[in-house]
Amino acid sequence: MSLVETENLTKIYGTGETAIVALDHVNLHIEPREFVAVMGPSGCGKSTLLHLIGGLDRPTEGRVRLDGQALDELSDDALAKLRRRRIGFVFQFFNLIPMLTAIENAALPLLLDGVNTAQAKQKASEWLTQVGLGARSHNRPDQLSAGQQQRVAIARALITEPVLVLADEPTGNLDTKSSDEIAALLQQVAKTWGRAVLMVTHDPRIAAYADRIVFLKDGTIVNETQLESARTDNAESVTRMIKAMA
Amino acid sequence: MNLQLTLAARYLWGRKLRSFLTTLAIVIGVMVIMGTGIYMPTFMEAFQKSMLSASGQTDVMITHKTGEAFSVSVLNRVKNINGIRVAAGVIDRAINLPPNFYGRDADVMGLGIIGIDPNLAPQLRDYTLAQGRFLRQGDGNAAVISQRLADTLKLKLGDALKVPTTEGVVKLTIVGILPSRALIGNEQVLITLSQAQKLLDMPNRITTIEANLTTTDKAQGEAIVNQIKTELGANYTLGGLVSGSEFMGAIQMANVMFGMFGFFTLLMGGFIIFNTFRTIVAERRHDIGMLRAIGASRATIIGLILSEGLAQGVVGTAIGLGLGYLFGVGFVGLAEPMMKQFMNLTFSGGVIVEPALLIISIVLGVGVTLFAGLLPAFTASRVTPIEALRPSVGATITRIGRLSTLVGAGMIVIAILGLLSRRFELVALGGLLFLVGLVLVAPALVRPFANMFGALTARIFAREGTGELAQGNLTRQPSRAAITASATMIGIAIVVGVGGMMFSLTNTVVGLFEKSLGSDYLLLPPSVAIWKGDIGAGQGLANKIRAIDGVGVVSTLRYAQSYAKSAAIEGETMISVLGIDPIEYPKVGSLEFQKGNPADAFAALAREERNVIVNGVLAAQAGLNVGDPLPLSTPEGIQEYRIVAIGGDVLSMKINTAYISQAVMKIDFHKSEDIFYQINLAPNANPATVEQWLNAIVDDYPQFRLVVGREYLAEFRQQYDAIFNGFYVLLAILAFPSLIAILNTLAIGVIERTREIGMLRAIGATRRQVWRTIVAEALLLSALGTAFGILAGLYLSYVIVEGVGATGIFKMTYSLPFTGVLAATAVGLLFGVLAALVPARQASQMEIIKALRYE
Repeated sequence: MSLVETENLTKIYGTGETAIVALDHVNLHIEPREFVAVMGPSGCGKSTLLHLIGGLDRPTEGRVRLDGQALDELSDDALAKLRRRRIGFVFQFFNLIPMLTAIENAALPLLLDGVNTAQAKQKASEWLTQVGLGARSHNRPDQLSAGQQQRVAIARALITEPVLVLADEPTGNLDTKSSDEIAALLQQVAKTWGRAVLMVTHDPRIAAYADRIVFLKDGTIVNETQLESARTDNAESVTRMIKAMA
Repeated sequence: MNLQLTLAARYLWGRKLRSFLTTLAIVIGVMVIMGTGIYMPTFMEAFQKSMLSASGQTDVMITHKTGEAFSVSVLNRVKNINGIRVAAGVIDRAINLPPNFYGRDADVMGLGIIGIDPNLAPQLRDYTLAQGRFLRQGDGNAAVISQRLADTLKLKLGDALKVPTTEGVVKLTIVGILPSRALIGNEQVLITLSQAQKLLDMPNRITTIEANLTTTDKAQGEAIVNQIKTELGANYTLGGLVSGSEFMGAIQMANVMFGMFGFFTLLMGGFIIFNTFRTIVAERRHDIGMLRAIGASRATIIGLILSEGLAQGVVGTAIGLGLGYLFGVGFVGLAEPMMKQFMNLTFSGGVIVEPALLIISIVLGVGVTLFAGLLPAFTASRVTPIEALRPSVGATITRIGRLSTLVGAGMIVIAILGLLSRRFELVALGGLLFLVGLVLVAPALVRPFANMFGALTARIFAREGTGELAQGNLTRQPSRAAITASATMIGIAIVVGVGGMMFSLTNTVVGLFEKSLGSDYLLLPPSVAIWKGDIGAGQGLANKIRAIDGVGVVSTLRYAQSYAKSAAIEGETMISVLGIDPIEYPKVGSLEFQKGNPADAFAALAREERNVIVNGVLAAQAGLNVGDPLPLSTPEGIQEYRIVAIGGDVLSMKINTAYISQAVMKIDFHKSEDIFYQINLAPNANPATVEQWLNAIVDDYPQFRLVVGREYLAEFRQQYDAIFNGFYVLLAILAFPSLIAILNTLAIGVIERTREIGMLRAIGATRRQVWRTIVAEALLLSALGTAFGILAGLYLSYVIVEGVGATGIFKMTYSLPFTGVLAATAVGLLFGVLAALVPARQASQMEIIKALRYE
């Protein structure tokens, strides 16, 4: 059994003539420790897929299973709990709370889960060290660079030891150097720390860090590519594939 | 610390200015409620202590229920009761003294003249003297005073103590000095009962019977007391004196006004908190979405917003309680000299803070904040992670609902019908409906209004196109515009409403004043509202004044205290009875009549029958009407009077008052002492000469002050204005928080249009143009809010004026506050621009790239 399984996952926005099919019967499987990148043109349904897998939105049709658990069977609160414990999120604009320090931001999911502050901070500190930010743990987001902020977001995503990390354009707001660092870090998340990672990106160079790339177009999976060895020089072949599909 | 509280604290700290301003609204509301709640019980306690000290060490103390004097024959009835060891009649009369009566250094504002039976009194109380001798039967102008009074006035045995009496100033020789006692109330001057009856024009009358019983057994004592009650009937009170209803009336009136003020302030505070939380939810859409995405439940989000509300509520309430305490203490401190003068009350017991007041203040302060935060908190909890992370404009703004417009319009119609009904409950309900109705219809009116005023702003910001842009911003999101405008509207409406009411009240009172006290000269006692402590003058003074060449009319007022029972009220109601001369009084002034014909009413009083004019407060409270009987308690028992009209004068507008003829007062109340004089000059009289004569006569009656009518009016107006200026300052404080409300809603507008502003800058708009767009928008919004606010405020003030009229308490004439409207317009627009400065700067300073990427 795969870690993530989608069965005919469909999402339609609006009704009647104005209805837009964002996802159309998508079947996708993600294995534990696998790093999957989702690519495709704007409006192809990448983010919608991520949101549905993350339980942020409900499908119009079909279902998502995480570790065998069908998400559509869960209440709003149960979904919140699942996101808190089993899934980690990394966003394009980091979405850190500006009033909290790096360590407090990273500790948030544990605090939401009722873990006591000292323990949560201890764990946050460990994860910040793991992502290379141990020295900046008491800085507020505005005192950190964009790349550093995204590292805090990754630490936050990992703190509850989730089985799946979802990253929506995690490098979309970063310079090239930082982008590479973050992509490498996500690779480490999968390979070293054993989490499955599903990343949405526009950037072939960043997608090339993944084990597998899923190409979406008009809401359906049009291609899937298993990369033999994930590295930066895969970028060229990935770019060629995108051009071929266009 | 709990996550929600940590986040709440951080967010509040992160937005210090806004947190401060928002919390300020709660601080002010709680402060007013707390402060108001402090002085009432403090005065009450001081008052009760004063009363308690008047009752003394005797076993039984009998007074007439009215507090008035009664016949000495009652004493004989008491003496005949089995078990009474000794009983004596006493006259206990408080005398207010004019300022500096004993010179500048002597701080004595009142005296208690106690007329006692020198033989019996020592058997009832302990009169151990420090110096000299006790009073003897047959002593004329001899007095025993306390050491403290002797020290204050630097008097010793054998010296003379001057005292104002109905006979003019009398000098009493000090024959004995009592040790000082820790008594609250007037310094006592003991004289013989017979002398007191003479000097105070109370022949054969006493105010109190003091008695000691033959037994010390509690049960037997109670049996004797019951026997006394049976013998004397319900007209007599055993125990302390019942008086001071006038004072309590004035305090309660002030309490109601301040209470109303506190309520309005908290209402405003609640609206601001509501508005602020809306801003917070809009600003933190991304934060909230992220929290939801990483697993925060809806309850967590609600808890987060409410924690912030709770923190602000707790901090605001705590500061409000502290400031309210200081406000109350300050108010008591300011009132103390006046209270000392009128009532000889000192607040030695300190300021009273009742637990109930603390609880109410805390519940209201924290409760209003939490309640105001509820809706935004629920809105925040409904923000889905997707909505928060996805670019979308105006997620928290609702569209114009046709239903809400119709409901709003319906409410306004009902409000107007309520006003037309002239029934107090409907008029009052209408006021609230009108305000809510305006808030509901506001979105539908935004477009026509923006179009109308947009032409003006387009002219102001000509050649830049910012005026049109601002106009477009408003009409595109009428609900948001309406919410911002509503913030201004509620602030302006409350200010114009309360201000308009004050203006009408001032005009009405001054009009009433001119009508009731419009004579050429007045002789005023030390207190013109609390008559009980005033010592008047016998018939001689009026006769002397009438004898002056050039004096045309002299009219006097006499005072007695009474009570009445009515089906409409529980228990008995205290009534201030004023004796007028029905022939002379209408020549120097008049009453403001609400019901009945003035000429017929005065003619009915002149017939020397038991006819009475009651004022509006009494009529409303006791449910009385013209033609109704009014059973008044008098020293001669209950006498039935017939109401011939409802009307009152300015001095008794707050106090239950009944006007009867002086002739009837003499018969029923045995009162012939004039306490207030109104004098008109004869035609062609020489005012200077008359004034000279009047001054010469009044010199012998230092309890009176001669004032020229128009000067008194000016003095009154000045005092009145001083009081209301204080109110206007409070109004300004109340208006200030509405600035925060406008600022918040404008800030939401800027946050929501971040990308649009970025786009404008990208395509070439200068920072200045962006700045001006926001300011122009704010101007339009505040113009809209101010226009609605003035409309609602005028309506509110009219409703209050009509509402007061509908209660029947007294008729207020509505005066349109032109100056107030102009000031409100200026302030409203100024607030709009001021509130726009921060968001406008924020918008104009926005980094283009960041703004474009915002969504």
